[in-house]
Amino acid sequence: MNAPNDVPRHERAAPAPSAVTVRGLTKAYGRGATEVVAVRDVDLTIVSGEVVLVMGPSGSGKTTLLLMLGALLRPTSGSIVVTGRDGTRVDVAAEPEKALPALRTRSFGFIFQDYALLDALTAAENIAVAANLAGTKGAAARQRALTLLERVGLAHRAAARPTELSGGEQQRVAVARALANDPPVLLADEPTANLDASRGRDLARLLRRLADEDERCIVIVSHDDRLREVADRVLWLEDGRFKTVTDLFIDPVCQMPVAATGPAFEWAGRSLRFCSAGCRSEFINDPGRFRITTGGQPGAEITGGAGL
Amino acid sequence: MTRIAARPPLLDSVPLGRRLLFTEPRRATLTVLGVAAALLLVLLLQGIFAGAIERVTYYIRTSPADVFVSQLGVETMHMSASALPPDTVDRVRAVPGAAWASAIGYAPGAVSGPRGRQLSYVIGYDPTTSRGGPASLVAGRAPRPGEVVVDDAAADSLGLRIGGAVAVLGVPLRVSGLSSGGTSITNTTVFVGSDDLARLRGVASVSYILVRAGGITAADLAARVRAAVPGVTVQTREQFADSEARVVTDMSANLLRLMSVIGLLIALAVIALGLMTATLSRLHDYAILKALGASTARLAASVAVQVVWTVALASVVAAAVGTVLAWVLPLAATTIQVRITAASMGQLAGWAIAIGLLAALWPLRRIATLDTITAFRESR
Ligand SMILES: Nc1ncnc2c1ncn2[C@@H]1O[C@H](COP(=O)(O)OP(=O)(O)OP(=O)(O)O)[C@@H](O)[C@H]1O
Ligand SMILES: [Mg+2]
Repeated sequence: MNAPNDVPRHERAAPAPSAVTVRGLTKAYGRGATEVVAVRDVDLTIVSGEVVLVMGPSGSGKTTLLLMLGALLRPTSGSIVVTGRDGTRVDVAAEPEKALPALRTRSFGFIFQDYALLDALTAAENIAVAANLAGTKGAAARQRALTLLERVGLAHRAAARPTELSGGEQQRVAVARALANDPPVLLADEPTANLDASRGRDLARLLRRLADEDERCIVIVSHDDRLREVADRVLWLEDGRFKTVTDLFIDPVCQMPVAATGPAFEWAGRSLRFCSAGCRSEFINDPGRFRITTGGQPGAEITGGAGL
Repeated sequence: MTRIAARPPLLDSVPLGRRLLFTEPRRATLTVLGVAAALLLVLLLQGIFAGAIERVTYYIRTSPADVFVSQLGVETMHMSASALPPDTVDRVRAVPGAAWASAIGYAPGAVSGPRGRQLSYVIGYDPTTSRGGPASLVAGRAPRPGEVVVDDAAADSLGLRIGGAVAVLGVPLRVSGLSSGGTSITNTTVFVGSDDLARLRGVASVSYILVRAGGITAADLAARVRAAVPGVTVQTREQFADSEARVVTDMSANLLRLMSVIGLLIALAVIALGLMTATLSRLHDYAILKALGASTARLAASVAVQVVWTVALASVVAAAVGTVLAWVLPLAATTIQVRITAASMGQLAGWAIAIGLLAALWPLRRIATLDTITAFRESR
């Protein structure tokens, strides 16, 4: 078990109620010789109002974890108890298949890497359709869509199709859609991957604001180091387990965080680490092209318990 | 936890099915046109068939008689011969409630003109009463001895004109006038005086007796005639027309049904393919909707909406084109009459919707088995 990760970092005047409690969560894909254990025996507690960032190398099980949290993928074992705003508790992992669609509309908002908006619908309709699915109909759903668009600063683009919006605007519409059912938990998979630096930062701040203002908990899965500034906790997933990582390096080529477990590379008196052989050879071929940020040296210590 | 009750998607603020259908206007248009073409095929077939029946029974339906008397066992004119004893006319005329009774002679045969020959009913009637004669004359006058009234459509195709010569049952006569509505895909109708018909056939005979009711219903009159004159077949005008139509129906009903089924099967294939390709191209959208909590039933409803829209639009197109063709076709081919009614259109649209929903099962199966996590995994 990964005890340190199990404790929320920030102290509050009154202890916030836990929104999500995960115990012994495991997911194995396939069986026998082809079995891949993507997530192993993970424990995690998230309180409302908290932003948790899950980082880790590719294939470490981040998306798998998020899918299970959002009732989109059934765990092999373990429990995921989500506490609703009205205090009702439900074990997502134990719900029958038929109950899952309604559970999703009630408890979760999803933000996808590629925005996942429906091109057939306008920005407002994309949000209204999610409200419809959650049981809000007619004019009320349209009104909710407009209110949420206003909240993400896109009221003037309500009638635009996704194809007429920039990437950043599309992702803000997607965020508004994730709020359409007023869920206690927001789940985002690589929400900034397709955004440039400043749009990515804007989105990170928007997510932070949503967590603070609505007492919503947000789980973000990402490689993106920019999201660390808005996260209450950063968890490092590797081989399906949360690891306590003392040193964190930033790959100077792709700007991805790299744990200090792999081989180091000495350059101009500095110790560099790379996410892959590809990034390393790219750096070696043309070191002048890359910006070595603070992450070029042992970075901020990230541990689940002690935080950033 | 409290569950969200499934609510009817009708009250949704977003018309999801319609939006999904029309995102790709070109695909939607092609599907609609494909279905419309299939429906039009069926509509025209049925229309031509209905038109043919109308033409075949035209003489009977436009007759002033309420009751028709024929030889025992003979219920039709088409492909039949009827002969009655000459005194039957007086016996029928004596039945109380009969305003009048007139005999007609009838012989199937051929008429020939400068441009060809055509199968024909030759009807001998009494031009002085005009009972049993042509319903109306579009030109010329009723036949005198040695003269004949021919149908205008046949006159066109055979190259006949008023005052010109025509051979009826091999005997040359002169055209005195033109009637209309008597030419169908099977035959035309010509009218001569009773005496001339007897001369043409070599025997004087009564084929059918036309009876007009006076103060009683056609059914009552038929019953009285049946009681008073045994050994003959008595039918009201409607019964006689129905019997006549049935001859044609029996000959072509199976063919027509087969063609209709083929047309509907084509519609089924077009809808199924159109929906399936549209669904496959929008699979990611369906996965997203599922991830957002849409149940399969919900998505099925949106697919059904797409079917109904497709068929409704296709029906409108087919009805519009069909109506134009029903007007244009007879101008091009005078023996063809196309009869498209709102009822036949409505019935066909009903079938098409049923078949469209059947076709929707294919894409629906794909949607039902669609894994929601593809919303996360696959990007566009
Ligand atoms: N449907 C599946 N069947 C079998 N194995 C799978 C399946 N989905 C994921 N895996 C495996 O599970 C492991 C974790 O995958 P996951 O997508 O959760 O990683 P990730 O951390 O999100 O990676 P990335 O950063 O590249 O998105 C990987 O080894 C992957 O190959
Ligand atoms: Mg992933």
